[in-house]
Amino acid sequence: MVKKLKGEQFYLSANDLTSGDVIYLSKDKWSTDFNKAIKIRKDDIEKYEKIAIQDENKCLIIGPFFVELTEEGQIRKLRDKIRKNGLTFKIT
Amino acid sequence: MYKYSEKDKKILKNRTSEFKYQVERRLNGELTEDEFKPLRLMNGLYLQLHAYMLRVAIPYGELSYIQLKKLGEISKKFDKGYGHFTTRQNIQFNWPKLTDVPEILKELASVEMHAIQTSGNCIRNISCDHLGGINNEEIEDPRPWCEIIRQWSTFHPEFSFLPRKFKIAVTASKKDRAAIEVHDIGLRLIKKNSKVGFEVYVGGGQGRSPFIAKKIKDFLYKKDLLNYLEAILSVYNELGRRDNIYKARIKILVNELGKEKIKCMIEDKYKNFANRKLELNDAQIKKIYNFFKLPIKKSKNSIIPKIDNIEFKQWVRQNVIKHKVKGYSVVMVSLKPPGKPPGDMNAKQMNELSQLSYDYSFGELRVTHEQNMLLPHVENKKIYDLWLKLKKIGLSTPNIGLISDIICCPGMDYCALATARSIPISQKISNSFNNYKQQKKIGDLKIKISGCINACGHHHVGNIGILGLDRNGEESYQITLGGSATENAKIGEIVGPSFPEKELMKALETILKTYKKNKVSEDEDFLKVFNRIGISEFKKDLYDNS
Repeated sequence: MVKKLKGEQFYLSANDLTSGDVIYLSKDKWSTDFNKAIKIRKDDIEKYEKIAIQDENKCLIIGPFFVELTEEGQIRKLRDKIRKNGLTFKIT
Repeated sequence: MYKYSEKDKKILKNRTSEFKYQVERRLNGELTEDEFKPLRLMNGLYLQLHAYMLRVAIPYGELSYIQLKKLGEISKKFDKGYGHFTTRQNIQFNWPKLTDVPEILKELASVEMHAIQTSGNCIRNISCDHLGGINNEEIEDPRPWCEIIRQWSTFHPEFSFLPRKFKIAVTASKKDRAAIEVHDIGLRLIKKNSKVGFEVYVGGGQGRSPFIAKKIKDFLYKKDLLNYLEAILSVYNELGRRDNIYKARIKILVNELGKEKIKCMIEDKYKNFANRKLELNDAQIKKIYNFFKLPIKKSKNSIIPKIDNIEFKQWVRQNVIKHKVKGYSVVMVSLKPPGKPPGDMNAKQMNELSQLSYDYSFGELRVTHEQNMLLPHVENKKIYDLWLKLKKIGLSTPNIGLISDIICCPGMDYCALATARSIPISQKISNSFNNYKQQKKIGDLKIKISGCINACGHHHVGNIGILGLDRNGEESYQITLGGSATENAKIGEIVGPSFPEKELMKALETILKTYKKNKVSEDEDFLKVFNRIGISEFKKDLYDNS
């Protein structure tokens, strides 16, 4: 999960096991609301990795990973921006 | 079309119940994701960027009106009201909930459909010439052979865990509409000394190492087909690499061993281990053939109405194909209207098209590997009425085979593997070239777009292929030229360094200008010009002035 991470801060994201929805770790639970996502510092990665593994084992989430952020705190990768914002076109 | 036997229905019912139980065990923690993943994949369920994705098999692209209606209902009830038809003639639902999937599979089973072997390292949906059984050029209908192969390959115990996925395509025409030479196995029905049998091609494929298949058998008797396929698969299963996912497809094995060596190994296996039970007798073949009889009773003196309507005339010219039975036509339904994601169809369209197929085409439909649909048997005199109804539901775009008839993978908008988006690129192109006359002037041209090197959008065999890449976090597009998936299959040549997204349309326009200035006659299409002048002219125009 933490291999080759770039940057100093991250969000923790996953998909909800039951619905498949994109979710982010907020203060006390997983949320589909990106605005509630908490920023995680590099030093705290291991702590949050444990939380992710626990929640995977509790059958709450699937595919957890850390979303890399730029120095300005913005999402770095296009893939993660699309996950946050949804499709970049209108559906049929 | 093939109808399930009681045994088929029972197998499917059991499989559906089994998956329901597996989902329950996953949700209550009895199964970890590592344990569950292979089980869900065996039932076509992936996890993509935003949600789960369920891929449903449409064997050799053939659908009944009842099945299409059901797909529409499923998309409305369990998804976001649309489905995406793929290059394997399947359909994908992009937003199902895990908890709904068992119910979806149950609904599919009620119309003799499933999602089995649409994922995983097994033999995938058999694809077929979409004009199989309804065109004049073919030796005989290839669809029964697809069904014979489907029955042999479904749940084949020895080939459920191959080194990698395995794709087979069948055609019966010289003109290849099924892209057989870019499949793991390509089969072409041919006639030799008044006997009908198969030419066998092996080791074609796209992805990061594209290869055109090699012909390893000039003539295989029909009765021996399954034994020969069994021999190919056995050699592959034994020798295909399992240590490196990128080198695991049979194309790599064929290329490493060479055509003659692999041919000898397959022949040896075939001669020494042929299983008598797999030898097909005439009665078995006839039984399957009977499912594929044409629904048309007799030919008619029916002609397409001469209507003074330019749009109708354009559509007839582009989308209506001669049927082998006099008085009937094949109506191509383009799923590429300007600005829409290629291959997508909404629930309302599915429902209405289902009804139109019932009213106009004996309840039959087909999906093409180029992500369009067709109504296979429409009486000529009804074609204008049909067009009016297709127009009402946005399914009358006259662009089959033209620049806006683009093959396109879902790309980074959906896919976890993609390195760039592909649908927005196809939208830009189809919006830019949405005028029929303008497209017709360009002529036949196949643009194929993939959002990563796995090449689900078949970019390697596009006349113009576009591959989306990630260059330091920015989307960038590499262009290949001169590819073809037809009877003269060819892997396209990379024209040069990739273009940032913003410059891609300009590059495409330059390529078209080069083509136009070198075109010597009206019927010289893009591929012909490319084959005559080569890549250097295009390269020069694209890069020398930059």
